[in-house]
This record gives sequence, structure tokens and C-alpha cells, in this order.
Amino acid sequence: MKFRALMAMLGGSVPASMIAVLVFLGIYAWPAIDYNGVSFLGGMHWNLGNLYADPITVAGVDILPGASYGIFFLIVGTLLSTLIALLVAVPVGVGAAIFLAEAVPPRPRMWLSFLVELLAAIPSVVFGLWGYAVVVPLMAHHVFPAMADALGWIPGFGEPTGSGFGLLTAGLVLSLMIVPLITATLRDAIDSQPAAVREASSALGATRFETVWRVLLPGLRSVLIGSCVLATGRALGETMAVLMVSGNALNTLPQTIYAPVSTMAAFIASQLDSALQDPTGLAVRSLAEVALVLCIISIIVNAVARLILAGVDSRHRRA
Amino acid sequence: MQVRRTCRWSKLALLGAVALGFAAAGGASAAESGRLLETGSSLLYPLFNIWVPVYTKAHSGVQITTQSTGSGTGISESVSGLAQIGASDAYLSNALEKQHPEMLNIPLAISSQMVNYNLPGLNGEHLKLSGPVLAGIYQGKITKWNDPAIAKLNPGVKLPANTIVPVHRTDGSGDTFIFTQYLTDTTPDWAKSTAYGTTISWPSVSGGLGAEGNQGMVNSVNQTPYSIAYIGISFKGAIDQDKLGEAMLENHAGKFVLPTAATVQAAANAMVAKTPKDERISLIFAPGADSYPIINYEYAIIKSKQADTQSAQDLKTFLDWALKGSGGNAPSFMQQVSFVPLPASVRKLSAEQVAKIGG
Amino acid sequence: MSVPVLTAPRGIVLQPGARNARLRQRKLLAATGWAWCAGSLVLLGGAMLWILGMVVMRGIGALTPAVFTEVTQGTGGGLLNAIEGTAVISAGTVILAVPFGIAAGVYVSEYRWTQWARIIRFLSDVLVGVPSIVLGYFGYITMVEWLGWHFSVAAASITLAVLCLPYICRTTEMALREVPAELREAGFALGAGPARVTFSLIVRSGLPGMVTGVLLALAISVGETAPLLYTAGWSSYLWNGHLVRSPIGYLTYAIWAFINEPFASANALAYAAALLTTAFVLLISLASRLILLRRSD
Repeated sequence: MKFRALMAMLGGSVPASMIAVLVFLGIYAWPAIDYNGVSFLGGMHWNLGNLYADPITVAGVDILPGASYGIFFLIVGTLLSTLIALLVAVPVGVGAAIFLAEAVPPRPRMWLSFLVELLAAIPSVVFGLWGYAVVVPLMAHHVFPAMADALGWIPGFGEPTGSGFGLLTAGLVLSLMIVPLITATLRDAIDSQPAAVREASSALGATRFETVWRVLLPGLRSVLIGSCVLATGRALGETMAVLMVSGNALNTLPQTIYAPVSTMAAFIASQLDSALQDPTGLAVRSLAEVALVLCIISIIVNAVARLILAGVDSRHRRA
Repeated sequence: MQVRRTCRWSKLALLGAVALGFAAAGGASAAESGRLLETGSSLLYPLFNIWVPVYTKAHSGVQITTQSTGSGTGISESVSGLAQIGASDAYLSNALEKQHPEMLNIPLAISSQMVNYNLPGLNGEHLKLSGPVLAGIYQGKITKWNDPAIAKLNPGVKLPANTIVPVHRTDGSGDTFIFTQYLTDTTPDWAKSTAYGTTISWPSVSGGLGAEGNQGMVNSVNQTPYSIAYIGISFKGAIDQDKLGEAMLENHAGKFVLPTAATVQAAANAMVAKTPKDERISLIFAPGADSYPIINYEYAIIKSKQADTQSAQDLKTFLDWALKGSGGNAPSFMQQVSFVPLPASVRKLSAEQVAKIGG
Repeated sequence: MSVPVLTAPRGIVLQPGARNARLRQRKLLAATGWAWCAGSLVLLGGAMLWILGMVVMRGIGALTPAVFTEVTQGTGGGLLNAIEGTAVISAGTVILAVPFGIAAGVYVSEYRWTQWARIIRFLSDVLVGVPSIVLGYFGYITMVEWLGWHFSVAAASITLAVLCLPYICRTTEMALREVPAELREAGFALGAGPARVTFSLIVRSGLPGMVTGVLLALAISVGETAPLLYTAGWSSYLWNGHLVRSPIGYLTYAIWAFINEPFASANALAYAAALLTTAFVLLISLASRLILLRRSD
């Protein structure tokens, strides 16, 4: 078989998997989508209903009394925690990648790179454990009060500093989890830039840092954005670690950056067991609808990133 | 070029050989023995973990895997036949029972629940709390520890003026089920607005926390001064180790009691006569002066029509052993997890249900 | 885009006299930049050591020889079944994900102007954002129930492979894009076909990046719990060799379930499992790096 055709076919497994998941979610969640309507996205009233009462019929659909499904707080929690994770992970990840690729001699470089890759090897459950055993008390007793003192004048950064379980903690733990994606790929990419380019830049009088920052990195914009996209995806979909440190807010929006939040992925994991007890099946289907919304958010984020990249590329080519 | 390609293929072949080696080793050791899968409640999980090694040593022809996933998953996997034993802290609801009439709810033990708190300086005392007070706390109506409602129950105790931090379970939990049943049975206001379940829509309380699993509850209370939480009795050791407080709860007769073997037994005995044949009953808020108000049957949700006769037979033999006073229901097992054995007449009812299992 | 456009750093052409001040400013900026980079690495390294330290401290005590020779038994025992299960599931995941993922990455990189490549890349990026629990539930409904496989290695491996695919595709594509066009042109000029050019020239050049990608994907999949809960189930015994209708153990379950038990022996075993999971991926990473080093000689 022709090489290109073979690669195209095997490579088709990726879109095929994604389409399969979307189709599954769409079909499975359809009864819930139909029943919940638009208030699903805008409302903040998630309630599985009285699991031990007999189902009643509303608008032709069997539901449990008191059941209603509105996930606005989840959408906010997911987007905010991912945003914080990226704001921390990108500078730190890029900085570490530059240092590893440029400033560290080859032998220690392998071992230091290991240290960073090891961050990726740690199971998300262990991040969660470390988060609530170590990070949460530290934040609650030392870091957050200090932050509130120094930055309290910024809206959202003031008192109350809460218990340590919240948006900022979840964002920080997430950032640690996604940094290896950025650092490892960027380090490899910087490494693979030809020496000629570096030498030319030095010959023009640039400092080493300027060589990296103004010559090498701009050429790696697509790698950077690519790894950021992977990192964003991972942050959006992370379940276990967030479950253990985010405080798991229900039907409330965070008033400060220290307040508890819930993300869609963690929410699905924690509600699934109870949803299975709903005899009408609407609860599990609503959770599938949450998953579908998350996929759509991921599509939107990627589309926006794609547009940014296209803009960057064309500007770059013009220069 | 050719050498490199051979290198890569040989590595792949090696990987495949290793995998097959594992498979062969696994296949060789696990002969055609009966296999049972128990999954579900995290409350029953420690008890099953104590039972299984002892049972399988005496009955080598069967392999029993235990798993902690949650009551809802236990029920659903038992219904679909993926697991033979679905462990659950709650019996099936009427609606579920109607959908799946072939499911049996078989109590195996009696569990109870503590209410714990972290009040610096007061953890050694046993604060007296009642259902309405707890409902008020979890609704956000009672916000300070020195609220008059709490002070009335605890005369002479110097309660601090700090804000209460109520902690609830975020995962689907039998502990939430029995705690909210206690609140429902004692507080009409709670019954109307929130009711009970393995997951409920917790009223939003400023500063309230959610925790994962009983261990998460213990950690939250330990790390958060002025917090309060409901925790399964099996974690009494962890509570005592962290020197956290344990509350005395108001029972049906108006007395305040701690969850000891005696008070739990008293409550169980009071409910024995009321237990129906299908054994679906709540033991919460049992009558009696010495009864502890939050106790429950720990259920094995079993499909009466198993996939094959071998599984059915293995299952029945195991359950019969578990129900025997000299077997699984012996105090030596129960004490390790602070559970209480079933009263004799309830054991008989359970055994009758076990007899209905067929293959 | 394989050759970065050379733009001379601004400020190089100076008025005499202002030169020293400008040079000082650039040097200061460079120093700040390096400080930020070094600080980032220290931050990451520090966090890494902190986490590893916690896991080692709490887990090393439980790492007795019994952990490697006994299966999980009641409230303690060993982790042999979990170790074997993780190894088997990982092997299955790699076998499934790597060929398809690399093919996807190769296609997107080598034929990036085509519509199909754009579709693959876009959907691959979206797939990264799907939570693992959703993939797990997807696997549960489709493979465990509809196909009747019940808890099985097959369901687990396929689900984890779907999890890994987008990572491998993306990182392969990024690694191959960095290979200069001249290499391809030289290969074609010598008369090689696209298969030979890709695998003998480009992949060899981009191999470090690709290996990093596969290892990252493997690490992420080995560390997952939620999808395996619904596809592999759990078994307290060694694998019996069946790909379907046979649950299997895995290390992350031991971490998740045992940490929640009221028994100290179980909690210690949970940390031992955490240590082993990390060590498992570290060993694979180490081995692959060493092999790569030897090959590059």
C-alpha cells in the first residue's frame, strides 16, 4: 500500500476515536440535553433529587423529585483553574526549558531533565495526596494570609483566605502537573536548533540570553503553542488531583481566589457513583452532558489557539 | 541501516515475549477456580478485607477479589452481573427494587457513624449535639460554636465564638446516606428542603468544605480548626490518634450517647422486630434509652439469578460463612472495624434470603 | 518552518557614548532572564524533590521483599498482582497507541498542507482535553457492557491507548517538524521513497523528541486511576492470561483505595505503590535514554 495512504489510514485512528467519543456522548446524553435545555449552561442548581423517592413525570420525562441540572459554576471553575495553571506553568516551563537547553552542560543536563520528566511520572493521585497533605496546610496557614495582606487591595485577593482548599491551590497543583509537557518538548526543540544559527547570532554581538530569547524561541513558536495546547487539554481534563484539593464547591461561584471551586472532570468523577443510583437514568445522562460540554469547550479553546497560531505564522512570514 | 532495523524489531519481539511470559505465568498459577468479585461501599471494604484471607485459606477453591468503589457502583455492577456481591450501606430504593425485582438486600453486619469535631482545647470533652442542631449547622443557620442552641445542650462548657466549618462528603457515600437520614428523621425542616441520599444538594454554607472519602474527612477535620464532620466508625482509631473530638448524639429517648458496642447493640435489638423479610429498613433514630441514633445494616446486594451454578454455589457458601456467629459474624472480626454482629433473628432472615440465590 | 528568521537584536547599532549604557542595560536584562530561568528550574526541581521526598519517606518503610512476591491480601500483603497488572496494561497500551500515534504524527508532519492533516491535528488536540473518567465511562459502556468483555485487559488497554494517542501524535509531529527540510530534500534527491525518507532519515533525526513523547504518554497513562476503575476493575490475584472477561490489578488502584482504609498497613502499602509507580516510569525513561545515547554513537 502506498506510504501516504497507510499513514493517513493509521493516523485516522485519532479523529476516529474523538468522533466515537463525541457520538457516544451525544447519543447517551440526548435525553438529558433534551430535558435540560439551555438552563443547563446558565443555571447553578445541580441537584440529583431525592434518590429514595419515587420518580415523577415532568414534561413527559421521568425524573426524581427535586432533580435539576445547571452547571454554570462548573464551567467557571474549570476555566479559572485552567487559566491559573497556564499562567504559572508557561513562564516556569519555558524558563526551565531554556535553562536546561542552554545553561546546563550535557552530563548534568540529562539528569536534570530527568527530574523534570519525573514530574510527569508521578500519578495524579499522588499529586492529590501531596496537595492535601502538604500544600493545603501550607497555603492556609502561611501563604494565603500573607497574600491577602500584601495583595488584598486587588479585588478577589482579599480576605477570607479560607481553608487552603480552593481555586488557587488547585491551579498551582495543576500547573505542576502540566509543566513537564511544556518543558520537555520545548527543551528538545531548542536542543535541535542548528548550531549555525546560534553562532551567527553570537557573531552579531547578541548576549547568550538574547540569542535564545530573540532568535531561537521565535522560531519555535509553533512548538510552544503546540505544547501549551497539550498542557491546556491536560489541565481541562484532570480529575483526581483536582478532586482532592479544590474544595469541591456545589452551586456557588468563588468570591475570592482562595475559595473552593469544582471542575467538570472532578465533578463527574465524584457524582458518578450516586448518579448510578438514579433509577430514571437521567443523572448519568446529565453527567455525560457535562462531559460533552467539556469537549465543546476544548474544541473552542483549540479553535482559538489555531486562529492565534495562524495569525502569528502569517505575521512571522511577512517579517 | 539493516542492522538498526533488526535491532528495533528484536526489541519489539522481546517486549512481546515478556508479555506472553507474564500471561503464561499468570495462566499457570490461576487454574480454573471459582472467582467472585465484591465491589461497592468503602465502609464494608475493610470488613471484607479481613474476611477474605481467612475464608480463602479454608476454602482454596475460590478466589474473592474485594474492591472499594462506592455503594452506587456496587449496586449497578451487581445488577449488571459484573460483580457477584455489591456492597452497599443503603438498601435499594423502592423505584430501583421495582426495576430490578430479582435483587436481594442481605445485611451482613451493623455499622455506625460518629460525629467528630476539632475544637482546640475541647476535644477531650464529648460535646452533646442533637439532630436539629446538626441540621442547623449544615444548613448554615447555626454559624458559631457558641450559638444558644449548642450552649443549651452543653451547659457549663465554655464554647468558643468561632465560625463552624461543616465538612461534607463530595463522593457518593453511604455515610452521607445515614447522616442525612438522621437529619431527616429528627428535623422536619431538613426533611422538607433537603431529604436524604448518598449524594444530596448540600445547602451552601459560607466556608463549608467538601472532602473525598472517610480519610479525606479525617484529614479535613484534623487540618481545619472549628470544623465538624460525620465519619464512619471504622475510623475511630484515626480520630483517637489525631486527638479529635467525638460528639454524643441525642437519641429517640432524648438521651445523649456515644457510639459504643453497647449502644449500637441496643439500637439494633430495638429494630429487630421491625425488620421485614426483605430486610430493607432504616435503623436510624431507633427507640430505646440506650440506643445510638446513627446505625445501619451493611448490605450485600445480590442478584438472585447468578450467571452459572458454580458462581451461585460459591456465593452461597461464602455468604453462609459470613453470616455464621462462628464465621464472619464473630466478634473477633467485627471488633477490628468497630462493627457489631447481626442479632440472631436477623441472621436467620439473611440466611433465608441467601437460600434464594440460584444459578 | 524550519529555519528561524534571523533578526538582529534591537539596539545593536548605537550612538557612541550611549553604547556603554545600552550594553549595561542589555546585560542586566540578560542576567534577569537567566535568573528567571534558573529560578524556574529550581522551583520545579524543588517541587519534584518535595513530592518524591514525601512519597519515599512514607513508602520506603513498606517496601519489603514481600511487596514484590505476594499479592494483595486483605488489609496488607504485597503488590505483585498490581505490579504485574500495570506492566501488562502498559504493554498493551504501548503496543496499541504507538503505531497509530506515530503514524498520525508522521502524517500531520509530512503532509501538513492537506485537509486530513489539519483534521487529525485539530481532533487530536481536542481529545487531549477529554477527562480520563469520561474515557473510562465510554470504555465501560461500549466495551465492558455492550461488547460483553466485562472487566478486562483489552478494555483497559484500548481505553488508555485512546488516552495516549493525542499526546504521541502531537509530540511526534512537533519532533518531526523540527527536522530541517534539507534532510528530506537530500533523501528524495538520492532516490529514496517516502517510507524510506521518513523512517530512515527523519524519524532517526527526530527520535529523541518522539521518545520523549511516548514516555510522557506512558507516564500519564500509568498514573491514571479513574478509567481503569471502570475497565480493568481490580483483581487481588495474578492475571490469568485472558484478554477479556478477566479483571486485573494495577498500582494506582492500590494507591487510591488503600489510602482510604483505616488500617496503617494498608496506608503504608498505598505509599509503597505510589513509589513503585513512579519508579516504573523512571526505569523505562532511564532505559530508553541510555539506549538512545548508545545509538547516537
